[in-house]
Amino acid sequence: MIDSKQATEALADIDDTVRRLRQSLIYRFTSTIMLMWGVLVLAGNIAGWLWPRYGLYFWIAVYVLATAGLFAISARNYAQSRIRTFDRRYMLTFLFIISFGIFCCVFGQFSPRQQSTFWPVYIMLFYMIAGAWFGYAFIVIGASIIALTLFGYVYIPGPTFLLWMAVVNGGGLFVGGLWMRRV
Amino acid sequence: MAELDDIIHQPLRLKIMAALNALPQSAGLEFSRLKKLTGATDGNLGAHIETLAKAGYVSVDKAFVGKKPQTTVTATAAGRGAFARHVATLQEIIAGKQG
Repeated sequence: MIDSKQATEALADIDDTVRRLRQSLIYRFTSTIMLMWGVLVLAGNIAGWLWPRYGLYFWIAVYVLATAGLFAISARNYAQSRIRTFDRRYMLTFLFIISFGIFCCVFGQFSPRQQSTFWPVYIMLFYMIAGAWFGYAFIVIGASIIALTLFGYVYIPGPTFLLWMAVVNGGGLFVGGLWMRRV
Repeated sequence: MAELDDIIHQPLRLKIMAALNALPQSAGLEFSRLKKLTGATDGNLGAHIETLAKAGYVSVDKAFVGKKPQTTVTATAAGRGAFARHVATLQEIIAGKQG
């Protein structure tokens, strides 16, 4: 028979294992989503740079594809792990976040350049908030992308800024997703 | 008075059961993920999984994903029950009812 101290250590071991398992499941699911967003954002920025007149349509397409992608990734994840990751509640949260972002852009009368800066900073803010609960990787990725986005806003002139955002935001999410898989 | 489960109480097997028990029923973990999670070597992890499987606490499924072999370990109902009892016993010891 073991004593109280050893029993406490065993329970602490169990808690630590469960915490690490949950974090790894969250990282695995999120990394797939980040890889998808990375590709879509890269494509959206490059398309906007090539055909600036149709920029709004490209971004609508990006969000529609992303939503479909989220459901597809969630369905695949459920089939593999029996864990629901993207359901109606998440969809509603996603819609609230996007709606408030659109409200800010309209109410603040942001220029296209300001919008290209606002969206990554806004979305990365939620990554950083998620980091407070789910692990430091979210904070590192969010802070890096916000810093590089603001750097580009200040120092990268004209339409080249969209190419900067393709690399920083799209590429950043992609690299972040790959890194998260390894953490 | 409940007894500690000797099979589960070994530190690595405790971690394996804790991880598998935290998943929904019928969900399993791949060997590679369990290895990462527990920090064990291939041989050590394999041996302890075998011990748990012999006790009927986990089931082991081997399949091919593409061309790669993949081993998935899942806690059985008996394993989940044994783990719950083991945790309850640990809590009793801490509360001073045993030990």
